[in-house]
Amino acid sequence: MKQKKHLKTIALFISVIFTVLLIPIQTSAQTIPDQRLLPRLVDNADLLNDSEEEKLLDKLDLISEKYQTDVAIVTVYSLEGKTAAEYADDFFDYNGYGIGPNRDGVLFLISMEHRDWFITTHGSGIQTFTDAGRAHMTEQFLSYISDAKYAKGFNKFVDLSEQYLKQAAKGKPYDYGNLPKKPLAWYWLPAAIGVGLIVAFVIVGGMKAKLKSVRRQVGADDYVAANSFVLTDQRDLYLYSHVSRTAKPKESSSGGGSGGGSRTRTSSSGSTHGGSGGKF
Amino acid sequence: MAQLLDFKCPSCGGAINFDSQAQKMKCPYCDTEFEMDAVLQHEEAIQSESAKDDFTWNVQADNNWQEDELNNFAAYVCQSCGGQIVGDFTTAATSCPYCDNPVVIAGNISGDMRPDYIIPFKLTKEQAKQGLREHMKGKRLLPKQFKDENHIDKIRGMYVPFWLFDTKADANFRYKATKTSTWSDSNYVYTKTSYYSILRSGNIAFSSVPVDASSQMPDDLMESIEPYNVAELTNFHAGFLAGYLADRYDVPADECIERANHRVRQSTENQFRSTVTGYSTVATENSNIQLSDGKANYVLYPVWVLNTSWQGEQFTFAMNGQTGRFIGDLPLDRKAYWKWFGLVALIAAALAYAAAWLFLR
Repeated sequence: MKQKKHLKTIALFISVIFTVLLIPIQTSAQTIPDQRLLPRLVDNADLLNDSEEEKLLDKLDLISEKYQTDVAIVTVYSLEGKTAAEYADDFFDYNGYGIGPNRDGVLFLISMEHRDWFITTHGSGIQTFTDAGRAHMTEQFLSYISDAKYAKGFNKFVDLSEQYLKQAAKGKPYDYGNLPKKPLAWYWLPAAIGVGLIVAFVIVGGMKAKLKSVRRQVGADDYVAANSFVLTDQRDLYLYSHVSRTAKPKESSSGGGSGGGSRTRTSSSGSTHGGSGGKF
Repeated sequence: MAQLLDFKCPSCGGAINFDSQAQKMKCPYCDTEFEMDAVLQHEEAIQSESAKDDFTWNVQADNNWQEDELNNFAAYVCQSCGGQIVGDFTTAATSCPYCDNPVVIAGNISGDMRPDYIIPFKLTKEQAKQGLREHMKGKRLLPKQFKDENHIDKIRGMYVPFWLFDTKADANFRYKATKTSTWSDSNYVYTKTSYYSILRSGNIAFSSVPVDASSQMPDDLMESIEPYNVAELTNFHAGFLAGYLADRYDVPADECIERANHRVRQSTENQFRSTVTGYSTVATENSNIQLSDGKANYVLYPVWVLNTSWQGEQFTFAMNGQTGRFIGDLPLDRKAYWKWFGLVALIAAALAYAAAWLFLR
C-alpha cells in the first residue's frame, strides 16, 4: 500500500517535470519571456549616432520607469516578410516588452526597406494611445522621420508619449473630443501680422480722418421743405422672372464611427494589441 | 469818396456795435443798449437833417465806385478820425485801421447790393476761440506743438453773402428692380429672380438752399459749416454789420444756381429712391426732374473765420456764427501717426494670433 503511494507520487513528479520541460521545448522560438530581453531602443537600421542613441535611451528609460509603461523605439532594415503590424507585435511580444502583469507598453517601429512605420500598443498602452490620440500624435512627429531627421522625430515621439502617459495617468486619455492642441501652423504668424496691419490702417486712418473736416455737402436734404415730398404716382410692375438651379454639393458620408478608444487585434502570440501604421 | 455809415451812440457819441449776446446795438464805451429800430430811426433822423449833402454823396459815391472797381479796391475816409480806409471793392463792413471804429460802406449794402435777409451773429469771439479749442480736442494725431502754441493770427467775424434758392421739383423716375428667392430640394438649389419695373412720380420742394456768393470764401469751407437755421432770418438792417466785417456778393445768382441744382438733384434722387424698398437690386433706368417756382434771396450769414499758420502752411477754420458748428482741417503729426500705427498693428496682430491660437487649433 505504502509502496503504491510512493510510485504514484513519483509518477506525478516525473509527469510534472516532463510537462514543465516539454512546454518550453515546444515553443522555444515563440515564447513570451518574463523579462525584457532588449533595451528600449533598438537601432538595427543604424539611424542614430552613439550620443543620440545614449540620450534617447536615457529618456526612454526615465519615462518608462516613471509611468510603468515601456516606451520603445525599434528601427530595422527589413520586416522579413511580415506586415509592419505583425513584425511590431511579435517584436514586442517575443522580446518581452511591457511592464507589469499586463505588459503595459508602446513600441514604435520603423523599417527602412519599404519605409514602413508602426506603433503597437499593449496592456494599458492600448487605452493610453487611442486611435484618435495616435493619429494626432503621428501627425506631429512623422514628418521629421519622413525628412530623415530621425533623432528629432524620435525625441518628439518620446515627448508626445510622455504627454499622453501623463494625461492617461489623470484618468482621461487623449481621445476624440479630448485631443491635445497642436501648435499653430506657421502661416498664422504672417496672417496675424496682416490682420494687425489692416486693423491699424483702419483705426489710425479713422484718427487721421478726424483731422479733416472741410468737405462739400452732398445733396440738400437739410433744405427739403417740411411735408413737401408727395408721390403722385407709385407703381411696382411685375415684368417676368426666371429660375436657375445649381446642383447641391454631395455630402460626403462620413463612414465609420468615431466612437473613440482603440481598435485591437490579436497577434501571433495570442495577445491583444492596439496600434496603427503606414508609410513615411 | 464812398459813403460810410457809422452808428454813433446817442448817449455819448462813441461808435456803437451790434452785440451778439444781447442781440441789440450796444455802445462799448458807456454800455448803453439800444433797440435796432430805435437806432435805425435815430440814424434816419440824422440822415434827413443833412439830406441834401447825402444825395450828392450818393451820386458821387456811385461814380467813384465805378472807377475804384477797376482797381479792385476802394478807399474811404473814416468819419470818426479822418483816416483813409482801404478796402476790397466787395467790402461792405470793416473797421478803421486807425481808430478801430466800425464802419459800414453804404454803397455795398444798398440798391441791388442790399441783402434781403440776415442772420445776426449769436456767438462771440470768445466762443469762437473756445470752438477752436474744442475742435482740437480728441485728435490724437494733431501735432502737440500746434495744440500748445494755439496761436491764432486772426479772428474775424464776417458776414458772408449767400444766395438762398427756393424751388419746387417735379420728378418722374423709372427703376428696374429685382427680387430673388431661393429654395432647394434634395438635389438642387433653385434661385428665382423676378424683375420689376418701378414707377415713381411726385414733387418735392426745397427752401433756402444756400450757395456761397463770395468768391473769396472757399465754397467747401462754407458748405462745411451748414446748416443755418433759416427760421432766424430777419430783415436786413445795416446796424447788424456794425463791429463785424462784411462782404457783398461778387458771384451773381445765375452762376450760383448750378451748385444749388446739383444738390437739389441729388436730394430728389435720394428721396425718390428711398421709396423703393423690398428689392434686392434697384437700378435707375430713367429720371426726369423739372424745377419750377425758382426764387433766389440774397442774405448774409455770420461766420467766424480763424486764420493761423504753422510750419509755413496756412490753416483756415470757420465757425458757424449762429449754431457754433466748427470746422477746419488740421495738420497731421507724421511721427504720431506711425507710432499709433505700430502700436495698434502690434496689439491687433497679437490679438489675432491669440484668437487663432485659442480657436483654430
